[in-house]
Amino acid sequence: MIKVENVTKSYGATQVLKGVSLSISDGQFVVITGASGSGKSTLMNVISGLERPDGGKIFYGAEEISSFGEKQLTGFRRRETAFIFQQYYLLPHLSVDKNVRLGADLAGNKNYREIIERVGLAEKQNRKPCELSGGEQQRVCIARALAKNPRVLFLDEPTGALDEATGRSVLGYIAQLQRERAFTMIMVTHNANIADMADVVIKMNSGNIAEVYENSVRKGAYEIGW
Amino acid sequence: MVISLKDAFKLAGVTIISFCAVFVCTFFISYYMDAAAIADKITDPQAQALYDAQMATATFVSCLCGGFLGLIAVVTLVFYINLYIRRNAYALGLFKALGYPNARIACAFWVFGLSVLLGAALGFGCGYAFAPAVYDALTIGALPRIEVSFHPELLVLLVILPAAVFSALSVACAFFALRRPTLELIRGKSERVKAVKRVRADRERGFLAEVFIKTTFGRKGIAFFVAFACFCFSAMVQMGASTLELDTGYMMGAIMLIIGVVLAVTVLIMATTTLVNSNAKNVAMMKTFGYNTRECVFAVLGGFHIYALIGFAVGTAYQYGLMTLMVNIVFKDVAMMPDYSFNAPVMLITFAAFIVFYEACTFAFGYALSKVPLKAVMLEN
Repeated sequence: MIKVENVTKSYGATQVLKGVSLSISDGQFVVITGASGSGKSTLMNVISGLERPDGGKIFYGAEEISSFGEKQLTGFRRRETAFIFQQYYLLPHLSVDKNVRLGADLAGNKNYREIIERVGLAEKQNRKPCELSGGEQQRVCIARALAKNPRVLFLDEPTGALDEATGRSVLGYIAQLQRERAFTMIMVTHNANIADMADVVIKMNSGNIAEVYENSVRKGAYEIGW
Repeated sequence: MVISLKDAFKLAGVTIISFCAVFVCTFFISYYMDAAAIADKITDPQAQALYDAQMATATFVSCLCGGFLGLIAVVTLVFYINLYIRRNAYALGLFKALGYPNARIACAFWVFGLSVLLGAALGFGCGYAFAPAVYDALTIGALPRIEVSFHPELLVLLVILPAAVFSALSVACAFFALRRPTLELIRGKSERVKAVKRVRADRERGFLAEVFIKTTFGRKGIAFFVAFACFCFSAMVQMGASTLELDTGYMMGAIMLIIGVVLAVTVLIMATTTLVNSNAKNVAMMKTFGYNTRECVFAVLGGFHIYALIGFAVGTAYQYGLMTLMVNIVFKDVAMMPDYSFNAPVMLITFAAFIVFYEACTFAFGYALSKVPLKAVMLEN
C-alpha cells in the first residue's frame, strides 16, 4: 500500500503540488492524467523517491520514504522500484543484454533472459540501442525495469515517442506483464484514452487531484481509442 | 553564428598548454638569440664548453617543449572541436538544413584560435618577465652575463603564427566534421553509430563490469589525456627535483615543477570533466534504478587508474632518459659536472604525491558524479 498524505512541492515561487493525498493498493494499475503543468510528473517523481516533497508524507507500507536521507532513498529505489521513461535512456554503448542487466543485477536475477525473450527481443540481445526501432528500444526499457522484479513500476509517458501501432503493442506488453506479475504500476500520460486500461485513474489539475475513479473493467491496448 | 567568444575561452586546457609552451620557448629562444650575439666574445675553453652546452640546452628544450606541447595543444584542440560538434550537432545540422554551406559554418570556428592567442600572449609576456632570472640561472661558471633583448620576430613566431595556425586548423577540423549528412547531425547520431562492432560481449559479465570495461577501453581520447596528465606530473616533477640536485639553479627546477603540476591538473580536469559530462545521463539512470555513488564512480572513473599508472611509469622513464642524455651528451665536456643516476627516493616521493594528487581528483569528480541530478537529466531533450 502506498499512502500519500498532504504532499506539497514548489519550484521557486511556483507551487506544483498543493497538498495532494491519495492511496494506492498493492498490484493496482494507476494512471495519472492531466494537462501540461498540472503536476502529474512531479507527483510521480515524489512518490517514486526521485524527488523529495517540500511537505507532507509518503508511506510504502510502514516505511515513510519522505523522511529518508539520500542513502536510504537509493536503497529504497534499489529494492522496490523501477522506471520506464519516454526517452528510453538506454546506455548507448551497451548491448540489449547488458542494458537489461542494469536492472537484473540489482535484484540478483539470473533468469533475466527470459524477460528479453518475453518482450520479443531474444534475437536482438547483442544489438546496440541505435540498431533498434523506437518500439524495440521501449521494449528493452520494459525488460530492464521488469528484470529488477520491482514492487512498484513507474512509467512516465512510455508511449509518448511512439506511433499508434507501436504504442499499442508496447502498452499491451506492459499491461499483460503487470497482470501476470501483479506488481503495482503507476503511469503518467497525456493520453486520456490509456486511462481505460487502468484500475484507478487520477486526474490532476493545477497541482491538485481533480478526480479519482476506478474502472470496473480494464480495457486492452487494442480496445482503447488513441 | 552558433559559436561565441565564450565557447572559445572554454578551451582553458588549450590556453594553459599554449601558455606553458610559449613561456618556456620565449626565454630559451630569446636566450639562444642573445647568447649567439656574444659568441665571438667567448675565448676561454672552459667557458666555450659551458656556452656550447647552454646553447644546446636552449635548442633542445625549445624544440622538445615547443614541439611536444604544441602537438598536445593540437590534439586537445581537435578533441575539443569534435566534442563541440557532437554536443551542438543539432544546431549545426539546422544551419546546414537552412542552406548554409559547410565552409561558411566551418569559418565560424576560427574563434577557437583565440584560446591559443590568449595563452601564447600571456606565455610570451611572462616569458620575458622571467627572462632576466632565467638568464641568471643559465649564467654558470665562466660564462659572461647576457642581457635580455626584445626580439619582435619572436612575437610573430610564438604568438601570432600559432594563433593563426590554430584558427586555420579549427576551421579545417570543423569542415571535415561537418561533412556528415545533415539529418545525421540533427538526429544526433554520431559516427560511432556507424561503427557498431559485432563483437559479442562476454555473456556472463555483469552490468557494472561491462560499463567499467566499455568506459575504460572505449574512450581512447580520454585515456590518452589521463595518461598524458600523469606523464607530465611524473616527468616534470622528477626532472625539476633532479635539476635542483644537479645544482643548475633553483629557478629552472621550480619552473619545471610548476609547469608539470599546472599541465597535469589542467589536462586531468579537462579529461575527467569530459568523461563525467558524457556519462551524466548514464549515471543518472543507474542512480534512478538504485545504484549507489560508489558503484557509479567505480564503473565510470575506476578504470582510468590503469592509464594514470602507465602515464606515471612512462614519465619516470622519459625523465631518466632525458636527464641522462643531457648530462652525458650535452654537458659531457663541462668540467665539475656531477654524475647523474636514477633517483629512487625522488621517484618514491613523487609517486606518493602523485597518488594523493590523482586520488584527490578522482574524489572530486566522484563527488561531482554523486551530485548528478536525477530529474534534471531525465528531463533533457
